[in-house]
Formats: sequence, C-alpha cells, structure tokens
Amino acid sequence: MTLTAEDRATLARLAALMVPGGAGMPSAARISLQGAPLDRVLAHAPQLSGPLGRFCAAARDVADMAGLDAAAQADRDGFEALAVAVGNAYFMAPQVRHAIGYPGQEARDASVGLTAGDQALLTPVWQRGRLWRAP
Amino acid sequence: MTDRTEVAIVGSGPSGAVAALELVSAGIGVTVLEQGDWVPAEAFDGARPEWELTQLKQWHPNPNIRGRPEDYPIDTAASDVNPLMFAGVGGAALIYGAHWMRFMPSDFRVRSLDGVAEDWPFGYDDLAPFYAYVEEAMGVSGEDGNPAYPDGAPTPLPALPIGRVGRRAAAGMNRLGWHWWPGSNAIPSRPWRRLQPCVLRGTCGTGCSDGAKATPDRTHWPDALARGARLLTGARVVRIETDAQGRASGVIWVDRQGARHRLAADVVILCANGVGTPRLLLASGLANRSGLVGRRLMMHPFATVAGRFDDDLESWVGPAGQILTSCEFYETDASRGFLRGAKWNCMPAGGPQGFRAGYGNGPLTDAWGPAFHARTRASFGRSFEWGIIGEDLPDPDNRVRLADDLTDSDGLPAPRIAYRVSDNTRRMLDFHVARAREAMQAAGAVEIAETRLIRDCGWHLMGTAVMGADPETSVTDEYGRCHDVPNLHVMDGSTFPTSSGMNPTATIMAVAARSVLNLIDTRAGLEVA
Repeated sequence: MTLTAEDRATLARLAALMVPGGAGMPSAARISLQGAPLDRVLAHAPQLSGPLGRFCAAARDVADMAGLDAAAQADRDGFEALAVAVGNAYFMAPQVRHAIGYPGQEARDASVGLTAGDQALLTPVWQRGRLWRAP
Repeated sequence: MTDRTEVAIVGSGPSGAVAALELVSAGIGVTVLEQGDWVPAEAFDGARPEWELTQLKQWHPNPNIRGRPEDYPIDTAASDVNPLMFAGVGGAALIYGAHWMRFMPSDFRVRSLDGVAEDWPFGYDDLAPFYAYVEEAMGVSGEDGNPAYPDGAPTPLPALPIGRVGRRAAAGMNRLGWHWWPGSNAIPSRPWRRLQPCVLRGTCGTGCSDGAKATPDRTHWPDALARGARLLTGARVVRIETDAQGRASGVIWVDRQGARHRLAADVVILCANGVGTPRLLLASGLANRSGLVGRRLMMHPFATVAGRFDDDLESWVGPAGQILTSCEFYETDASRGFLRGAKWNCMPAGGPQGFRAGYGNGPLTDAWGPAFHARTRASFGRSFEWGIIGEDLPDPDNRVRLADDLTDSDGLPAPRIAYRVSDNTRRMLDFHVARAREAMQAAGAVEIAETRLIRDCGWHLMGTAVMGADPETSVTDEYGRCHDVPNLHVMDGSTFPTSSGMNPTATIMAVAARSVLNLIDTRAGLEVA
C-alpha cells in the first residue's frame, strides 16, 4: 500500500503533535519528516504502510493530543505503526543525531581492554574470595 | 537415485558445526542439512542508521515476526515465553548476544545439592577440557580469575572494555559488596583466526556487520568445508527414516523449490535446537519409549531492571555482548523462598529507540509531545540494564508438540509450545528484580524501570530429549545417543537435564564436542543401517 498525499499531510500534522521540537532538538516539521525521512523508513519497513495508511485515514481530523490519544485507543496497531515510523524517521535524521550527540553505532577500538582503574574496581571482588558452591 | 553419506547432521548452528568439523577432521564423510542460507556480514544493518528499524522485523529473533519461508512458525498461544531462533548457516548464533558463560559446578548436581530435578551424568570437571577447547575456536574474550568458578574460567583473549556503563554498574555493586566480573563474550578483543576484532558497535543481537562476533559460519564452517564436509542450504528435513531393525537409515528432506530428496546415512545427528529436534523426532515417531521427547522444555525466563542516570554514560556503546556479569545470587539459598538462582548481565541501552522501549508503557502524553524531547534529553545515553536469567527447572508439562492446524512453508506441522513459568521461577525473578533495583540505586540511578518477564526471551532452548542412563526415564545416553535408535544422536541443548541460569551456548558446544569425540572413538562398534 502506498501512502497518498493526503495521508502524508495527515502524518505531518500528527508528527508535529508528537515531535514539536524542544530541549535543543528540532521538530518533525523542521526535518520534513513526512517526506524523505518517511520514505527511508518505508523502504526498510514496508510492512508499516498498511496500518500507517489506515491510521492516517482515520485521523484526518485530529488536531490535538487528546484527539490523537482517542485515535490511538481506537486502532492500537495503527498507532504503533505511526510511532515506529515517526520515531525511526526522526532519529535517523542527521540533524537530530547531531542535536542529541549520537554518532550512531560507531566503531571503536576494543583492544584497550580493562584500564588500571577497572582493575582497581575489581580488587574487592576477588579479595572476597570464592563464590562457587562445591558440588 | 539415493544420495548417501556416512553421517547426516540436521542443523548448522553451534552444535552442528562442532560435530561436522570433528567428524570430517577424523576422515568421516559428513553431509549437513540447513534449512536457511548463508548470511554475509554485509547483510546485517549494525553499521547503518536503519539498524533499529530492521530489528523490528527482518532481524527480529522471533521467527513468527520475521515470517521468512526458511524459518518455521511456532504456535505459542499456550506459552508464557516465545522461543527465539534463526534459520541460517550458523543458526541462531548469527543473532545471539555472544554471552559466553560456562555452567557452574553446582549446575550439574541439582538433585544432589537441592533435591530437585536430576543430576547430569557428568560434572564440571569432566566438561572443563571441552569448554577450553571450544573457547579457543570461538575466540572468547574475558578476564581470568573469576571467583565464581573453581578454575577462574580462563579465556584465550583479554576482556573487552567495560566502558562508562560498566564502571558505573561496578561501582554500585562494590558499594553493596556484591560479586561482578567483566563480561566474557564470544567476541574477540584481538584479531583471532577468521574473526575480526570487536569494534564495540553494540549491535551483536542483530548480527555482526564487522565479522567480529564468533559465529559458526566463521569459526567452523570454512575449515569443515575445506576438509570435505558437504553443507546443503535451503534443505529442510521432513523426517528421519529407519530400516527394518529400527536403525536410522537416512533422512527425507525438501528443497526450497518443494522437491523431496532422500539422503541415506550410516548415522544421523540432530542439532536442530530444543524445539526443532523434538519436532523432528515426533514427526518421525522415533526415540520416544520414555514419552519424554518434547517434554521438559526449559527457556530461561528473563527479567530486566533498567536504570537512568544523570551523567552521560555513552550507553549506546558495546559490547552487547555483556559488559559485566554477576553471580552474587546464583546459588540456592532456601531462606529466599525458592530453589536455584539467576545470573545477571549488564547491558548497554542501545540507540535512541532502544532506550525508549524500557519506558514506553505510560500514557501517550508521557511518550510524545514536549515530553518526547525532555525524556530523550534526560535518558538517551544515560541508561543501562541488568538482565536476569533465571534457572527454570524441568516440568514435563512444558513441552513441544506438533500443531494440527499450523504448518511451515513446506506444509509440515509446526511446533506447538505449552510453557508456563513456575511459581518457583516467579519467586526467583521477584527476588532478583528487587536486588537489581538495589544495585541500580547503589549505582546512583535517578529512575528505575523493571520488566518482570519479557515474552520474547526464549533464546535458550533446552531439555526436550533429556540424557540419562535409564531408557525409561531419558531419551539419550550421556553422549546423546538415542536409547531406542543407537545410530541416531542428539547433540544440541535438547539433552540437557537442567538448564542452569547461564547462557547455554558454551555448554551446548562443549557437550557436542564431548559427544562427537565419543562417537568418533566408538564408531568401530556402531550399529549402522
């Protein structure tokens, strides 16, 4: 199922309610979440399209969080699809990641192992001695 | 025309890989049937932004959610826990957390020590050389000298970094005087044979895109294939065949195009996990004189306690993998109101979507709107969890059967699970959750959330073809040889008499090594079809 332009317009309004911007983070509108970010989500999670379209069709008149809550109560699966789509589209956006200080699941050097401080933390553990139960 | 092999192995996961490599190295012909396919490292999304999205479907551990034709569906309507698995070369290890724990000495002596369940036919000391053997193959990283083990559970490679999360958790445990230890993981901290060194990406549970996590497709299959093993992918076994004397004579399998084939074999080894193995035995009507095939299913009920902290812990950084473990409350203390215990593992919180899962049960206005931003700012990178693996004791009513109204993509009956968490286990988890909350408080958590039983937690599938000396009360002998069918073997976790409270892959592989080496040593006297 492909989302219609009307579905996307509805989703933009719902996303604006859910992600209004604040605490140094951009709004859903600021990143045009209903456009390319949503396309990226649906490309990797096409199973969301059906319930998302259904939810948007039923929520055309939602104008506030109370209305969104009522729509969510009426279609839990549809709202779950909306929440997954909005959340993932938002947090995949580079400007959002930058705002929250998240570099993504980046590669780091694991060969550093335990530090001297870590070994000091371990000292009382091995000083307490054997923990295992003799069979 | 009938194909023929000396040994047919069903399943290419950790136990099947161990069995195949040992057999082919001993000059014995092996054909392995794997219903899934090869999964290259590039297929995993860990290094891509879509990582958190695709783990909800493509890389979800529950086959019912993935819905791929090479997996089989599972009827879980009568189960408190969903079994988790993955069909592919390397099996469910492809998406396991690589938490590498030996069972404790007491785990093999549950009847003698606590008066419940059964003792194993062998003990920790018997298995210790096999642990060491498979740990070399898997490139296990850890810190030697763990006082939770009699020999300190040495590992071939030094531990992975514990990072800010580990230090915070460890400080809390030290304030309480409780045991903790740097996590041991089947993830090399240095280059190791065909494995790349870990890069702490923290996406182990959805597949390692860096070729670092020890999975059989990297640790065992290249050598097994180079030595002549034959591995058939997209090959789902329908049933085991027997001859007039009741000996296994081979298997019938179906390819992805639906064509059926017969593979004749002198020996058949089942390594299809604690659900797939009894499914196949039941479908074949074999090895069930005791009536215990499929019964005594153990899946390790799992609870979590998540803490939020004021300071930046970079809690998306791996390994995931386990950063720390604790065995403080592992052993039985009857004054607690339950028998046996649980192991804890400290885990990072993951990406910005992952941390939200632990706090997602409130009203909508708590999760979205202005609260969305406030909570993200307060929580992201500042959370971790203690996971609690409780030992569930065997119960004959927890079982695998064949469904009469659900089939896989080849029309074969799917497994139906009946599984209830016992009162003993619920009391155990309640106790451990309360202690883990104390550990979080001691570490300085400003908010704590708990999940007392996660439904999608059935990673550890054990007990459904139990080993023992008496054919009336067990399915196999101590080496996995079926009492009723002497050339039919089980070498996965199905044979485990009890489950311990530890992640079982280390023990599954060690027991498989012990079993297959015995098979090789005794093959001259083996009855074959």
